[in-house]
Amino acid sequence: MEKLSKEEVLHVARLARISISDENTLEKYQYQLKELLDNIDKIKEVKGYDEELMFSPVDHQASLQEDVPGEMLSFQEVKKNTPHMKGNFVEVPVMINE
Amino acid sequence: MEYQTTIGIEVHCELKTNTKMFSSAKNGYGTTANSYVNIIDLGYPGALPIINKGAIELALRAALVLNCEINKKMHFDRKNYFYPDLPKGYQITQARTPIGIHGYVEIDTPNGKKKIGIHDIHIEEDTAKSIHTAESSLLDFNRAGVPLIEIVTEPDMNTKEEAMAYVEKLRELLLYANISDCKIEEGSMRCDVNVSISKTEKLGTRAEIKNIGSISNIGLAIQKEVERQQEIYENGGTIQEETRRFDEKKGKTVLMRVKETGNDYRYFPEPDIPYVVLTEEEIESVKRMIPILPNVRRDFYKAHGMSDINSDKLIQNRPLSDYLLKAKENLDYVIASNLLLGDISAYLNKEHKEIEETMLTIEKFESLVDKLASKEITSKIEKEILVDLLEKPMSVEEALKEHHLTLVNDTKVLEEIVTNIIKQNQESVQDYKNGKDRALKYLMGQIMKETKGTANPVLVNELLIHLLNEE
Repeated sequence: MEKLSKEEVLHVARLARISISDENTLEKYQYQLKELLDNIDKIKEVKGYDEELMFSPVDHQASLQEDVPGEMLSFQEVKKNTPHMKGNFVEVPVMINE
Repeated sequence: MEYQTTIGIEVHCELKTNTKMFSSAKNGYGTTANSYVNIIDLGYPGALPIINKGAIELALRAALVLNCEINKKMHFDRKNYFYPDLPKGYQITQARTPIGIHGYVEIDTPNGKKKIGIHDIHIEEDTAKSIHTAESSLLDFNRAGVPLIEIVTEPDMNTKEEAMAYVEKLRELLLYANISDCKIEEGSMRCDVNVSISKTEKLGTRAEIKNIGSISNIGLAIQKEVERQQEIYENGGTIQEETRRFDEKKGKTVLMRVKETGNDYRYFPEPDIPYVVLTEEEIESVKRMIPILPNVRRDFYKAHGMSDINSDKLIQNRPLSDYLLKAKENLDYVIASNLLLGDISAYLNKEHKEIEETMLTIEKFESLVDKLASKEITSKIEKEILVDLLEKPMSVEEALKEHHLTLVNDTKVLEEIVTNIIKQNQESVQDYKNGKDRALKYLMGQIMKETKGTANPVLVNELLIHLLNEE
């Protein structure tokens, strides 16, 4: 059975900020991701796949919104989904890759 | 052979809309952190983006101002990366169908005009603003989702002067067309500069210098980066494709990170937003909204004899330049610009007023300029009546009457005054006859003093010379 290289899996994992330390898990992903990509390649065989993007089976255009302010979230609401706040700021670990 | 420098510039500009790119939360700065947000900006599951019509119009206006071809059928793409300032895990941008392509901006160089090609201009959303401290990073999502345009040039610039002139010109255009505030220091306009050097036709490996904080620093950063690359090549090294930033204190560029390749962003079409279609009528109506641009004004000023200095000063002073647009074509624009930038600006600055807030209608202004041009009044008289013209609803004639300042055009009256002055200043008359030009000026001055500046200087000059020669 074909599989991706370890480096390819680790690269994708790095982009998703996932660490994989276990060798067995890594190998499992090498097979699973390859299978996934093969399935995507099958979709590409559909006739006309590359001709034009299809967002929806029905042909419709985006509807635009007037540039008028609408509803916003209250600060209480914002806080609910934020584990750490410092004053009004959302606090996260130091972002190093800057 | 010398190294040839090649420069390309990417500029991000925040659009001056009321709301965000894909949500109806307010677009505004300087307010309490995280108060202008809604579920779309915070990337709540299931929240769907809706395009802001105003942002599309401003981006279209920018594409037209930059002479671009318009993509009439466009879509958005997802640029995927995992970072706290982007809670969805991707930024919505335009990778395949940018709103404008193949445009240009014309700059002035010592060798004449040069067209800087615009590769594309695309629409995207801004990320949250982050503040870094030693312990943690702090995020303000008020900026998340603010509409941006990114303007990408071709690698058409070869000197730091050209790069600075381009950014300067671009800023002027976007400001005049009311597209963006373009405040580089405050971050509503951000510049990334790509620099490479090479001794051959083939371009060298480039380094990208991110987020340069002022136009003068763009010049400095390019200069330092070119020096750095030259030194590496001279020592037999190679340049890595990398992202750097300009450290103002150190006065050099420093490494940020080795650049991710485009593939890592895994661009794919944004499935939540169908195609956006721009009709010919929509494009035409946006075209009609574009005000007269600086280069057109500059050409007009030049054609009417205005100096480059005055022309530049007026362009930088939008309210005065707009005011002058309303004036008739056969005005003396040299006098008009001197008056606007001199006495009138001094008054406006002192009173903290805009020209449109004064009583000086364009008709009154024209009449004042005409009278100065025909020497019907002197600039001394203009100075005496100007404040009244600016503050009261009176015409130039009424102001002259009120100040008893009608210019003396009566030859008989003037002849008498001139004769008297000649009699009283025989020494100067002798000097004049001995060929001293200064004597004539002195006599003129005496006459003006006597008439409190109300004498028509052209008439006085003629009379004086005539009478002196009869002496």
